[in-house]
Amino acid sequence: MSFKKNTLTVTPSAFSFSLLIIIFMTAAASVVSASAVSGPAGPPEADTVEIVIASPTSPVVSDFKYDDGNSLILTWVPSIDDLPVGGKVLGYHVYRSDNGGEAKKIAELIPGSNYFKDDDLYGDTTYVYHVVARSANSRAASINTEAIQPRREWVNLNLKYLFLIALIIAASVIYFIETAKRGKKLFVRKIAGLEAVDEAIGRATEMGRSILFIPGINDMDDVQTLAAITILGRVSRVVADYDTKIRMPVARSLVMTAARETIKASYMAAGRPDAYNDDMVNYITDEQFGYVAAVDGIMVREKPATIFLLGGFFAESLILAETGNSVGAIQIAGTARPAQLPFFIAACDFTLIGEELFAASAYLSGEPKQLGSLKGQDIGKGIAMLAILLGVLLSTIAAVGDTETITEILKFITKVFTVTN
Amino acid sequence: MEHFSLWLAAFLTLGIISFLYKDNAWYKLTEAIFVGLSAGYWFVALFWDNFYGKFWIGKDEHLYLYVGAFLGLLMLLRLIPKIGWISRWPLSFIVGATSGLWLINYFSSNIMKQVQATIMPLFSTQYGAGFNAEPATIIGNLVIVFGTFTGLVYFFFSKEHKGAFGYTAKMGIWVIMITFGASFGYTVMSRMSLFIGRIDFLLGEWLGMIL
Amino acid sequence: MKRGVPLIITFVVGTVLIFSVFIPPMENLGENFTLFFDIIAVFAFFLGGGNLLRVHLTKLSRRKRDWEYSIVTIVGFFFMLACGLFKIGNPGDISASLTAEGSWFQTIYESMFVPLGSTMYALLAFFVASASYRAFRAKNREATILLLAAFIILLGRTPLGTFVTSWIPDSFSIMQIPNLAIWIMNSPNLAGQRAIMIGIGLGVVSMSLRLILGIERTYLGGDDKL
Repeated sequence: MSFKKNTLTVTPSAFSFSLLIIIFMTAAASVVSASAVSGPAGPPEADTVEIVIASPTSPVVSDFKYDDGNSLILTWVPSIDDLPVGGKVLGYHVYRSDNGGEAKKIAELIPGSNYFKDDDLYGDTTYVYHVVARSANSRAASINTEAIQPRREWVNLNLKYLFLIALIIAASVIYFIETAKRGKKLFVRKIAGLEAVDEAIGRATEMGRSILFIPGINDMDDVQTLAAITILGRVSRVVADYDTKIRMPVARSLVMTAARETIKASYMAAGRPDAYNDDMVNYITDEQFGYVAAVDGIMVREKPATIFLLGGFFAESLILAETGNSVGAIQIAGTARPAQLPFFIAACDFTLIGEELFAASAYLSGEPKQLGSLKGQDIGKGIAMLAILLGVLLSTIAAVGDTETITEILKFITKVFTVTN
Repeated sequence: MEHFSLWLAAFLTLGIISFLYKDNAWYKLTEAIFVGLSAGYWFVALFWDNFYGKFWIGKDEHLYLYVGAFLGLLMLLRLIPKIGWISRWPLSFIVGATSGLWLINYFSSNIMKQVQATIMPLFSTQYGAGFNAEPATIIGNLVIVFGTFTGLVYFFFSKEHKGAFGYTAKMGIWVIMITFGASFGYTVMSRMSLFIGRIDFLLGEWLGMIL
Repeated sequence: MKRGVPLIITFVVGTVLIFSVFIPPMENLGENFTLFFDIIAVFAFFLGGGNLLRVHLTKLSRRKRDWEYSIVTIVGFFFMLACGLFKIGNPGDISASLTAEGSWFQTIYESMFVPLGSTMYALLAFFVASASYRAFRAKNREATILLLAAFIILLGRTPLGTFVTSWIPDSFSIMQIPNLAIWIMNSPNLAGQRAIMIGIGLGVVSMSLRLILGIERTYLGGDDKL
């Protein structure tokens, strides 16, 4: 090359020679830098070879149904190198970009994953995802999903059948309550444990001993305790009429408050407000076995003639029932915990089994509108029995035969009774 | 200190066990200690977890908890006889909320799921498999369906247990009694093992120490 | 006002929580109620704890039967309160963990609370024996069935059960006690459990509706007119 003042003159041969020099120098530099990184030239070692893996494909993001607009579902096809045995993929990373910002890693998943639910999102933000498969020393990213905003659904349509059947049963309960209010007589069979309540209270009155009412050890946020309090209202009314002593040790302060309110109202309704005393209900302790120790002490020292064990109980049920038995009291028990019922059956004179506990208050009231609700419960039982018989019949036929219609009906029945959120 | 703890634990253990013989001063003392300590324990736990933990730490995020505190204060008005009736308001809130919450909860778990689980083919292990179930499985399936059905018949309130209905209800209570017997037998062993644990403590850790 | 407002509160709160299950924007209301309840329970404890103290102080002052033990209860209560509220013996200051190793609260829990609770629980062994003795008398058919089922399940979980029926050939293996026990648990026991649970579900629905609609009002003071 020769330079003339303010000009550059390149001849073809000079250009070719220059190009060759540049190529040679570039190649030499590459060899030198590769040697500098990997050490002396030689055959490459196994751990320096990059493990090439295929990227996950077809990432799809969709709105999670049905929620408050804070969840999205991401699915993808796993990398073809993700094999159950000998696969090179060690896991997946999920990346998310909020409103077009930088993509950040939000999850690490195990090999074989093809699904991810992203929670705690915002409905006014646009999200884009991609999934990265990783091996021991490499990564392979999928393409981005489309941009999406989570949507809020106002009604959870997954629960439509639950709503429908609950509505039918609730409607039948209300229907029979209204029917009873209009004067129609409803038959309710005798429940031995509840028929014995009056007699049990009378026994305590005659013997001059007290009645002990134990509403379980759960708090007012348990339906069994609510059932016990409603029964207490009926029992305390009779107690107030007979002027019998009632004692109610409780394990929860809120239950103490509710029980006092209930008993006080019963005494006022009986026209005996002066006979009521707040000390009829007293708080012991929240501790399960501390409460039991104290109640056992009350039982053996005061020797009540009648003991009601109604509500939510755990392991202490047997201790209480057996101690009550040992002091010769007549015991009426009831709980909705199937695991504790056997102990009450063995140790108590009368036991209300599950549903009977919740029916007790209505039964004891004798009021038509309350008894109407029991009829509604029977309708619910009828629906359950019909569904079971029909479902079993259809599924048996479908399993042994090849009938499309029956299979479709069966699928519908199963779908109705399947609850998914 | 460790020795003292051991003796104290043994003293309290034996005090509780003495109740099996009869009520006595030792049991009364142990009971009084248990009630006093446990009432104090639960108040402390409630205070730090529910009060301090929710109001002092991160209180800006839990402003709506003041609604709960307001209801709690209304509860305390019970102490003033003239306006004590206001304490029924938080009580009503709790009763309404418990009823509303558990209504759907129990409906879903106790009714829908149980019915769905009972719907099954009687003579097959899976759909389309034909008559491939073993005799014991078929009998088991029949017992499950029959037992559930008759058990529900037993709980019917609006029909007298007479005639064919009564006989079905009778079979239902027998199935329920088997359930109770199974539950009873299942828990007997675990109850025994609890007692063995305490005997192990008394004879091993405690007496083993002094011998 | 005294009864009307509470009934309205019960109705509104109950109805809102029923529908909250089906309306996603309201699905957290159930969780929030649990938080409210925990707060209310703390305030209510002032009433309960106050009642505990009042009962025992009254017993003490009037020298009623067993008044001496009331001193123990009151002292124990305050002592535990002091240890827990002031975190006596806790490494670090008052913001340290309540159950830190070495704290008086934790020491009392481990050396007194745990043995007391465990021993009460252990008493079940005796009570289950006495309950079984009573059940063994089998006064009627139902009691006999209960007893028989309990016996098979109990034996089925012990080596004795395996030994007693080991002579039964494999073709009748269901009659071997361990297998019979498993079958009972998986079939008739399951059937009974389901019937009871469905009944309980319906009972809860019915009672909850009665409470929400104000038909059941004993917790508020009976059936007086509004």
